[in-house]
Amino acid sequence: MSKKVPFALFCAGLTVILAFPILGLNLEHKGTSLVVTGADNWTLIGVLVAALIVFVTQLLKSQIKATYQAVKPNFGGLIQRLPGEDKRKLISKLVLIALIIAALVLPFFTSRQWPDIATLVLIYVILGLGLNVVVGLAGLLDLGYVAFYAVGAYSYALLSQYFGWSFWACLPIGTLLAATFGLLLGFPVLRLRGDYLAIVTLGFGEIIRILLNNFTSITGGPNGIGNIPKPSLPFIQFEPNFEIVWLEFGRRATDGGVPFHKFFDLPYDSSLKVIVLYLIALALAVITILIIQRLIRMPVGRAWEALREDEIACRSLGLNRTAIKLSAFTIGASFAGFAGSLFAARQGFINPESFIFWESVIILAIVVLGGMGSQIGVMIAAAIVVLLQELTAEFDEYRLLAFGAIMVLMMIWKPQGLLPMKRPHIKLKQE
Amino acid sequence: MLEAGLYFLQQLINGITIGSTYALIAIGYTMVYGIIGMINFAHGEIYMIGTYVAFMAIAGMAMLGIEFLPIIFLGALLASMLVSSSFGWAVERIAYRPLRGGNRLIPLISAIGMSIFLQNYVRLGQGSRDIAMSSQITGGFSIGPTDGFHATLSYMQIIIFVVMLVSMALLTLFISKSRMGRACRAVAQDLKMANLLGIDTNRVIATTFVIGAALAAVAGTLLGMYYGVVNAYVGFIAGLKAFTAAVLGGIGSIPGAMLGGILLGIAESMTAAYFSTEYKDVVSFGLLVLILLFKPTGILGKPEVEKI
Amino acid sequence: MKNSFAKKVLGLSALLVAGSAPWVHADIKIAIAGPQTGDVAQYGDMQVIGAEMAVEQINAAGGVNGEKLVAVRYDDACEPKRAVAVANKIVNDGVQFVVGHLCSSSTQPASDVYEDEGILSITPASTNPTITERGYTMIFRTIGLDSHQGPTAAKFIADKIKPSRVAVIHDKQQYGEGIATAVKQTLEGKGVNVVLFEGVNKGDKDFSPLVAKLQKQKIDFVYYGGYHPELGQLLRQTAEKKLDIKFMGPEGVGNKDISQIAGKASEGLIVTLPPAFDLRPENKGLVEAFKAKDQDPSGAFVMTSYAAVKVIAQAIGGAKTQDTEVLQEYIRNNSFDTPMGTIAFDEKGDLKGFDFEIYNWHADGSKTVIN
Repeated sequence: MSKKVPFALFCAGLTVILAFPILGLNLEHKGTSLVVTGADNWTLIGVLVAALIVFVTQLLKSQIKATYQAVKPNFGGLIQRLPGEDKRKLISKLVLIALIIAALVLPFFTSRQWPDIATLVLIYVILGLGLNVVVGLAGLLDLGYVAFYAVGAYSYALLSQYFGWSFWACLPIGTLLAATFGLLLGFPVLRLRGDYLAIVTLGFGEIIRILLNNFTSITGGPNGIGNIPKPSLPFIQFEPNFEIVWLEFGRRATDGGVPFHKFFDLPYDSSLKVIVLYLIALALAVITILIIQRLIRMPVGRAWEALREDEIACRSLGLNRTAIKLSAFTIGASFAGFAGSLFAARQGFINPESFIFWESVIILAIVVLGGMGSQIGVMIAAAIVVLLQELTAEFDEYRLLAFGAIMVLMMIWKPQGLLPMKRPHIKLKQE
Repeated sequence: MLEAGLYFLQQLINGITIGSTYALIAIGYTMVYGIIGMINFAHGEIYMIGTYVAFMAIAGMAMLGIEFLPIIFLGALLASMLVSSSFGWAVERIAYRPLRGGNRLIPLISAIGMSIFLQNYVRLGQGSRDIAMSSQITGGFSIGPTDGFHATLSYMQIIIFVVMLVSMALLTLFISKSRMGRACRAVAQDLKMANLLGIDTNRVIATTFVIGAALAAVAGTLLGMYYGVVNAYVGFIAGLKAFTAAVLGGIGSIPGAMLGGILLGIAESMTAAYFSTEYKDVVSFGLLVLILLFKPTGILGKPEVEKI
Repeated sequence: MKNSFAKKVLGLSALLVAGSAPWVHADIKIAIAGPQTGDVAQYGDMQVIGAEMAVEQINAAGGVNGEKLVAVRYDDACEPKRAVAVANKIVNDGVQFVVGHLCSSSTQPASDVYEDEGILSITPASTNPTITERGYTMIFRTIGLDSHQGPTAAKFIADKIKPSRVAVIHDKQQYGEGIATAVKQTLEGKGVNVVLFEGVNKGDKDFSPLVAKLQKQKIDFVYYGGYHPELGQLLRQTAEKKLDIKFMGPEGVGNKDISQIAGKASEGLIVTLPPAFDLRPENKGLVEAFKAKDQDPSGAFVMTSYAAVKVIAQAIGGAKTQDTEVLQEYIRNNSFDTPMGTIAFDEKGDLKGFDFEIYNWHADGSKTVIN
């Protein structure tokens, strides 16, 4: 006890030092000079109460811990009561099918705000899954992921602006371009150790953004590129003659196709545009999920994880370290390009402001919150992060504060993420 | 010819000034990395908090009628060092200590979270507007003809450079001579072994964070007085630059941080001087990439032996 | 087979959505869309206080056609990505009128949505010319254009100041670079010697290399396209070197904060600003009303936001409908009585005869008109 009191006092004093200058004092301009004023009494009382709470908890730390241990809910029993592995597989399959059907049908019944936000969520799902390959599976910390996202977005925007190419032509090009960038960057930097890699990729992300901003004559610089067309859908027409018609969903045709409502002679409905974009995003996200799921089960996917776990062991087993890392980096980058083209289509207008370092952090946060390596976790986290940004308008002031705090607390309490990855494994049936 | 020389000299002075502050902030990164091998992303925010506290101290003293410059300067320095080191200690205790020994990515992400948290904590407390303060120390020396182009070296620039040198000297002395400094070096070499030999490694690590934060506060005070402006967002970019400096000089090495900081400062000012200001950041990041590619350990860093 | 199925699904969906008619409200909702958080929130505040004051006063005077106006705030944090989400949310909430957005890079993507949905939007702050150049009918603005502001400034420089060596500097942002380019082109057209055209990084604090460059190039006049934090630093660092250079900037620098940052160095800065509507004798009562609520009416976007609400209200009152298709024509063909004076719009949706005025800025944050 005797040792505890000084420490608790110290902590309480520290709380005052941490809170009082920032919250309890205000810097204000009076005329041309700067003055310090005290905040209102409530803030001061708040600081003192906080200090008191810290004092008491530090003093009674062991007791609190003991009480917590005693009343801690027993999750172990709960898990045992869950249905067995085989049944769970079936259930999860059913849930998945139900989710897909819901995702396909729901947008037609909700207001247009939701498909739009869902599109954004899906873009982040693709980004999260792509970065998950790099960070979660291969264990390479990439802090400049947004650069590849920018490459994808700008390749669609530029190709459609200068050559009038359609979304479907630009999508693979954007993906390939981003992959090429990944390959070119990855080749020299991947021999660096983890932290160096992080900082080089961060620098690369910044360089790409600054270059996009500075090459005004091509990229429009800070003015960005506007009027990027929304994707059109092909429709095979049999009568009067056999041809493929590209349907557009805007009021007027902008991409050389035919407006949907004119083609079918329906009244114009603007929310259809949003819904179609959402459905395309959904399809692309599903493709991403399927591809990555395949990759994880392929030798290359196993090699990524093996390399993450133990590089030396991998090398001694004769695995080509550079090739494996490069493949992860390139594949990750290509999905960012994929998402970038989609983002440009959703936004209709892009400029370098959309590709700042902060974006990379958000994508990284998605991967981490979801549980590195876990696909479902990443999807859920993408939804949470995007919805948190969109829905908490009342708490707007505190949103980022909470975001930061959650990131720290998650790492302390549940560093493996919301839904930790389950390795593909085979289990012997025990009779 | 003379003009070109003076111009170069002027840009050199500018580069060294900004580089000195990078160096001071870089110490925090480099020491933490040297000891526990993590990038403390929140370090830039601690620098920013230091600037805020220095402003409060200066404004407060001005309101009390204190006009003697050395007292103002020292008062601001001490206040900001006290608060910043408290933050340094608390951040380590809350966000990093519980994570030690796990996956390397986890503390890094926690640090990014902490950085976001601190930035917004200050924004909520102090508002998002720029806080500005008039210069306390003005004037300087002029080199060259008074009618044509002349280089100037302001008193504030001299103070920045001198304070940086003094802090570096004190730190080096502390690390090489004091008991705690020896413990620091031991922990940096081998944490487990140091622990076995009875060194309180937790305490050593906490000390590292406190020292790093205090030096960031020194940089915050100096830069605050030099530019006279602060907002909640200045920490991020300063931290990024300082980290670049630390890597450039060889992360883990204290002289390296100083060298890296000054080199980065000079590279930036020369780019702005002879090329264009808008490519300043491209050049500094490009330099970083090149150094890492050809000498991954930085200029003064020791090659790391992979422990098996 | 497949396409007939697709046809059915899409047709069905079209019917379903068409069936949900727009919500009919007793109140007239006006969205105030702009940055209420983030680093340019202070400009968003100007917009909010101006627009909300207008709503309050119009309601106090009996509303529009007997209906009350309701101001609803939407925060886009000046991020293009969120601006699109906000626009869709506004559509969703059945709001027909928008005062916003603030940043040009937010207004541009958001206006795509509004145009498509037939939502009437009036931006009180976005000055980028491209916004009204796309043939849209639903967007108006109660502020001038960069492409006007630039030449106004350049003409003043060429005719009144007659500097010998000019530098044009900008912050590499849509707003700043746009104006700076316009200034440079007009100056060159008038035979003024533009020696240096350079961008700086937004958020930068260290301009000492640039200041040395200005000194070496013997620049005697600098036009800065951008916002006050960077120009404030530039002024301060130039003054510390005791260089005799005159500075000029657009309304983005005409903010009291610049005097805080630059101190004495801000004395003599030349700024192009929208006319100081709060100094008009007609607006005395309005200014009092702001002061009574402890709000600052002198912000550049306060009166333009007030005017935007006023235009919407008067159009609804005059046309006796809330059909935006009718209203947009009404707005184009009529003039409106606002604190900015009597204003009218051209075909593109820009103000007719909106002129920026040239002010001398003072170290205490005040300004005087130069004529």
